[in-house]
Amino acid sequence: MSDIFDIAIIGAGPGGMSAALEAAQQGASVAVLDRKATPGGQIYRDVTQSPLLDPSVLGREYTEGAELVRAFLEADIDRHQNADVWHIGENGEVLYSQDNQTRRLVARELIISPGAMERPFPIEGWHLPGVMTAGSAQVMLKSDGMVKDGAIFAGTGPLLYLIVAQYLRLGVTVNAVVDTTPAGGVGRAMQHLGGALRKPAYLIKGLKLLNEIRRAGVPVFRHASNLSILGESKAVGLQFQQDGRTHSINAGHIFLHQGVIPNLNMTRALGMEHHWAEQQLCWTPVLDDWGQSSIPHIAVVGDAAGIQGAEAARHAGRLAALKAMNKLGKLNDADLQQESSANLKAIKSFKAFRSFLDAYYPPTPEHRIPVATNTLVCRCEEQTMGQLRAGFEQGAKDPNALKALTRCGMGPCQGRQCGHTVSELLADWQNKPVSDIGYYRLRSPQRLLSVEELSQFQNIKPVQKPAEVSA
Amino acid sequence: MNFDAIIIGGGIHGSATAYYLAKAGLKTLVLEKDYVGRHASGVNAGGVRLLGRDFAEVPLSKEAMSRWQTLDDELDGDTGFRRRSLINIAIDDADMSKIQTRINSLAGLGYNHEVQIDQQELRERLPHVAHNCVGGVVSEQDGYAIPYKATTAFRRAAERLGATFHEGETLANLRQIGDTWQVRTDKATYDAGTVINCSGAWADKTAMMMGDNTPLSHSAPMLMITARMPHFAGPVVGAISRQLSFKQFENGTVLIGGGAKGFADRDSNHTTLDYKKLALAAETTKTFFPIMKTAVINRMWAGLEAYMPDNLPVIGAGVNARNAYHAFGFSAHGFQLGPVVGDVLTQLITTGKTNFDLNPFRIDRFERKVL
Repeated sequence: MSDIFDIAIIGAGPGGMSAALEAAQQGASVAVLDRKATPGGQIYRDVTQSPLLDPSVLGREYTEGAELVRAFLEADIDRHQNADVWHIGENGEVLYSQDNQTRRLVARELIISPGAMERPFPIEGWHLPGVMTAGSAQVMLKSDGMVKDGAIFAGTGPLLYLIVAQYLRLGVTVNAVVDTTPAGGVGRAMQHLGGALRKPAYLIKGLKLLNEIRRAGVPVFRHASNLSILGESKAVGLQFQQDGRTHSINAGHIFLHQGVIPNLNMTRALGMEHHWAEQQLCWTPVLDDWGQSSIPHIAVVGDAAGIQGAEAARHAGRLAALKAMNKLGKLNDADLQQESSANLKAIKSFKAFRSFLDAYYPPTPEHRIPVATNTLVCRCEEQTMGQLRAGFEQGAKDPNALKALTRCGMGPCQGRQCGHTVSELLADWQNKPVSDIGYYRLRSPQRLLSVEELSQFQNIKPVQKPAEVSA
Repeated sequence: MNFDAIIIGGGIHGSATAYYLAKAGLKTLVLEKDYVGRHASGVNAGGVRLLGRDFAEVPLSKEAMSRWQTLDDELDGDTGFRRRSLINIAIDDADMSKIQTRINSLAGLGYNHEVQIDQQELRERLPHVAHNCVGGVVSEQDGYAIPYKATTAFRRAAERLGATFHEGETLANLRQIGDTWQVRTDKATYDAGTVINCSGAWADKTAMMMGDNTPLSHSAPMLMITARMPHFAGPVVGAISRQLSFKQFENGTVLIGGGAKGFADRDSNHTTLDYKKLALAAETTKTFFPIMKTAVINRMWAGLEAYMPDNLPVIGAGVNARNAYHAFGFSAHGFQLGPVVGDVLTQLITTGKTNFDLNPFRIDRFERKVL
């Protein structure tokens, strides 16, 4: 069997699956590589095999994903699960590990969908055992049905309220919700209200979640600021300010969340052009309306292209597939325009809605740009803000220079956790826009790679006939 | 603005030359088109190696090596230097006789810093070495430093002595008018009595502005580093007849080099890795050290480096203009020479002479060759 495809898609979340379905329907040979055992991405993780007796507690958006996953599993697509991509070449070559073998395929067009990650929450003590992200709490729930009783949820954004509501529906006690959304949200978001009204169902859903939390009797501390984790060797509580008063609440588990940002490592390692998106306060690849990046044969879809959510990702996936078909000469320009228009329109309305959310739930500067010198920035190499400041004062004004001097960003996460913080710190210290500062220069491998796997690249295996994955 | 000396290029040699010139009382400016230590000087393997040097380089390298031992004190900084010894491993009798021949030649020149070791001693020094390795050669003073830190240490010491560094400023043109060099950049124009070309992979362009042609090429030597692993190797490790090169740092990470080259585009500062060659380096490493099978690669990268056809640097005065000097083309082994080359240039600039024989490093050495 051939290891050359018309289109290869990396990542089987809503964007990747939708792209694959569209491309397969249009008659392309399609391979999808996904690092998990089952398709779905983070949002629809294990949706067809939930460990929960009643997955509906996770909400309609989650259960609706099952339909997409089933369609994906039934289509004429070469699906490769547990396929961990560690290199994408500028020549369209994709190297990945599967069953402890290094494998390779080549595609004329690539659509990558590496997804999002939670924005780091670099406050004092955020590295202590007992502190996790709200997203990881949700992963534990979706994959293993595991929960933590008596936890504090702190931060801002819809996902925070969603996971709290999911906990409450399962009868899990929640100690407190410490909401860092600044006061005056309506004023901030007023100019985007039109966008919000275009998605009334989502708006109502958001309000319902908040009501659900209040009705359950969970103490909610609004407009909290200056958060810090209490504890020496592990978290014992959360301290914060509200209305000029300092509060301390004890808890052994604290879940932090202040929105999500694109997972940059793949798009950065590919050397794509990026820009600093001021609205979302994150680096984003420079893309056209079809997700086309600065590299001619690579498109980016899903939240890695800028945070838009699962529904928008489906449209973006279809658009990227249509454009790829057009570039392959299998869809003429007129048909491309015609088939794209509904998707383009849908994305526009999701973007308007997202502008509202971004304005309403901003991650505040004090929780993005560390204030205390002993706050860890790089968790892998244990570099504090104070140590980075010292490196900066020795002349390291660029993220890569700071990395070379302090080892910040050199650890196994390749700067996923500290990259945005370092860009913003260096901008802050030099009083420059973040866009002037830049980001780490990244490379393959996209993840830790054993010497054994790498050495096999001399004797590479072609793509393997995909194993059947049952729904 | 007027300077006594302007250095083009803020790598380790540019920064070190600034340090020695400033120490000699010269008003010095370094012009760096990116940031100090951005290219080969900041991202190389950090090898501080006297072992296996070309005979022409041995006097300079020996002097540099003795300076490395106390460089942190000299610069009042942290170069990350660690003396660890360097062992080149022999896998057969042919390797062992190569070692013996070289040691005899070095002895003839009065050098005894390379010492042959047998299989038993090899295993004592490197307990995890593969059983088929039969011996090796060791240089005791060798070790490693952290490249960006070392370059920064020179830069900071130079600044304390009054040298100026301009980053993000690109040389546009050089003109010698009488005894003055007019140095024009994308931002300003300066006057200087002396110009020094420490421009690394871009040095042929700078040389041309000084009136000297040079057959420089550039490439992207590749490196990779593992996540932390238990300590298994104290010495820095190489091999006589294989592309093996690695060192384990104090934090447990292992840096694997070996000289394999990726692809370089110096106009865009862009390098591309050749993963097949890195795979070969991985294969070689685990063949020599089976314990490395379980190591995990964390990062891979490449830096832009300048090469000369004979793999020897250009060090010394320009031939077609007065008060013009060069130090470039170190061909992937210039880092160790950091503490000596700038001092030699400073001697040349301030006294017109040096105790070192720079004849093998003349910029015009290729012009006399009949091809």
